[in-house]
Amino acid sequence: MLQILQDNWLLFLIGQYPHGPVGGLAMTLFMATLGLALSFPFAICLALARLSPFAWLRLPAAAVTHTVRGLPLLMFVFWAYFVAPLVIGRAIGGVETLIIALVIYEASYLSEIIRAGIQGLPQGQVEAAKALGLGYFPTTFRIVLPQALHNMLPSMVSQFVSTIKETSLGYVISANEVTFAASQVNNQLMTKPFEVYGLLALTYFTLCFALTSLARLLERRISTGRGGNLAAQPA
Amino acid sequence: MGYVFDPAAILTGRYLDWFIWGTATTIGLTIAAWVLGMTMGILLTLVRMVPFRPLEWLVALYVEFHRNVPLLVQIFVWYFAIPQLLPRTMRVWINGHHSEFLLATVALGLASAAYISEDLRSGIRSIPKTQYEAARSIGFSYLQAMSSVILPQALRIVIPPLINQTLLLFKNTSLAMAIGVAELTYRTREVDSYTFKTFEAFAIATVIYLAISFAIMAAGNYADRRFKLEVR
Amino acid sequence: MIRFDNVEKWFGPLQVLGGISGEVEQGEVLVLLGPSGSGKSTLIRTVTRLEPIQRGHVLVGGVDVASGAVDINRLRQRVGFVFQAFNLFPHLTALQNVTLGLERLRKMSKVEARGRGMLELARVGLAEKADAMPARLSGGQRQRVAIARALAMDPEIMLFDEPTSALDPEMVGEVLQVMKSLAQSGMTMIAVTHEMGFAREVADTIWFLDQGRVVESGTPVGVFDNPQHERLKRFLARHP
Repeated sequence: MLQILQDNWLLFLIGQYPHGPVGGLAMTLFMATLGLALSFPFAICLALARLSPFAWLRLPAAAVTHTVRGLPLLMFVFWAYFVAPLVIGRAIGGVETLIIALVIYEASYLSEIIRAGIQGLPQGQVEAAKALGLGYFPTTFRIVLPQALHNMLPSMVSQFVSTIKETSLGYVISANEVTFAASQVNNQLMTKPFEVYGLLALTYFTLCFALTSLARLLERRISTGRGGNLAAQPA
Repeated sequence: MGYVFDPAAILTGRYLDWFIWGTATTIGLTIAAWVLGMTMGILLTLVRMVPFRPLEWLVALYVEFHRNVPLLVQIFVWYFAIPQLLPRTMRVWINGHHSEFLLATVALGLASAAYISEDLRSGIRSIPKTQYEAARSIGFSYLQAMSSVILPQALRIVIPPLINQTLLLFKNTSLAMAIGVAELTYRTREVDSYTFKTFEAFAIATVIYLAISFAIMAAGNYADRRFKLEVR
Repeated sequence: MIRFDNVEKWFGPLQVLGGISGEVEQGEVLVLLGPSGSGKSTLIRTVTRLEPIQRGHVLVGGVDVASGAVDINRLRQRVGFVFQAFNLFPHLTALQNVTLGLERLRKMSKVEARGRGMLELARVGLAEKADAMPARLSGGQRQRVAIARALAMDPEIMLFDEPTSALDPEMVGEVLQVMKSLAQSGMTMIAVTHEMGFAREVADTIWFLDQGRVVESGTPVGVFDNPQHERLKRFLARHP
């Protein structure tokens, strides 16, 4: 296994660059980060819509999240594959397709996390903001969301880990991330699938386990640091 | 552009057959993996309750591995890598008995088991120790206390997350297409490549997936309402 | 009926019971008093081996509860225990809480168990709440169901570990009433409680514990009106 790593570590890490597009682990991280980051604004909109008192906002938002929840990510990847070129007007590569699919998919799951974060805040926060005369938007964006997002940071890191794992689907549409790179190496070597895929599994494991541990650390920090409801503190 | 959306065109003859068989395979894969996952998950939970540190570590490692490696990669490991390590007779047997379906089932089932065992574990832990004490105080033995008082409560707590796991498992079967299992997504692509009616094909697949998913989610909602304990 | 023989218990380096000896006769009502941390809850829990002890003996009906020959489950069926936190089974109705032991341990038929269960619930004044879930009952009602659950097993001894400490003041009375009538019917009881009125009225003997030892013991009159020990005097001053 070490030999394979030695021979092919560059391919694993950054794909065929500079003789081709960037790939490998670098691309995996790039896609995961971009996918999650771009889905963020959508996630916030969806979350707020689901919590809205207006049915015309709330119901479609609920329909969207339930629909996304009911379909495999792979279906989104294929839908993006066919629909995106038509919408954008040109052919797009595997990487862009995957990112689009991830944005839609992650927006839905992220919105659920944000929704839980908002609902988890004590009522008193919104009441205090109202008492000061703040309208909906200032209340939401300067009081509610900052706290909700801070509290849900561990969950969001977990979601990032999920997104990293989801980039492996790039293999199916030849997006040049680390699983695809590994399959290329395997096709070259032919007789060492255990080493190649073992290495691939180990790579993901190391990365994701490190991030998951970070999420757990954050979880502990946040629950001890905030100390619960800041509304009633004993003197 | 003149593109007419015509799903009826592909819901006939052998294409219809493909959709039906694809759906059947998806459902079959889900059930097979579910049985494996539940069995393994319960086993893991029981093993974890044994107060022997190395065993706890082993189970923890199992869970962490399956949670941090993408399911697609796990499927590849089982399909491409593991058979290499098995004795020749086993390999021959597997190859002669729907190797793709078999190995996909194993991969999906063992991955599910990791999550299921975590759900079971947190369910049991959430029951206060005092319940056990109260049961013992009436005169129940350890086994009687577990079966008459603890387990019934644990099951109620654990059913919603388990139904959620079932939903995830169902959706994850689509990944099996990567190793050639002829489940719904694979068949859909087949229909697409033969008829070029891409939108119709994937629309049908989408409807099928959503229908089954919603059925599972509805079961989950029912279980939630029926089994949720009011805790004051 | 119950005998403590130089009972000692440690939690790690901390000694929580320091050589307690004494007896409880059949039909006697013993009340354990003392500041928190004095070991009274720990002591009562040793009777059914809910807490193991390191030294000394606890004997129930002449038998050492720690001995290998004892079937602890059998013993616990004969000794009823009522917890501070009630510990009702939340997934069962009040009646089912009471009949669970009857059906599973005494092997009664459903009909028999139901009949007996209703009797016990009526005894604590909750017959009409038989089919209610614990979440729907008040604290006082829950504790009474817990008492009925313990009584259904036909115990020879009833143990109460601060049965009213978790209750709102207005519900304390209904539980004490049940305990009082139980005592009057001749039940052997040990109760850990802060309810002085109850102790004065109902107890035959009072043990005052401090830091794991019985510092003073006697009849209610003796202990309340004529306290000898300093700690007891201070305790009584703070708990009128």
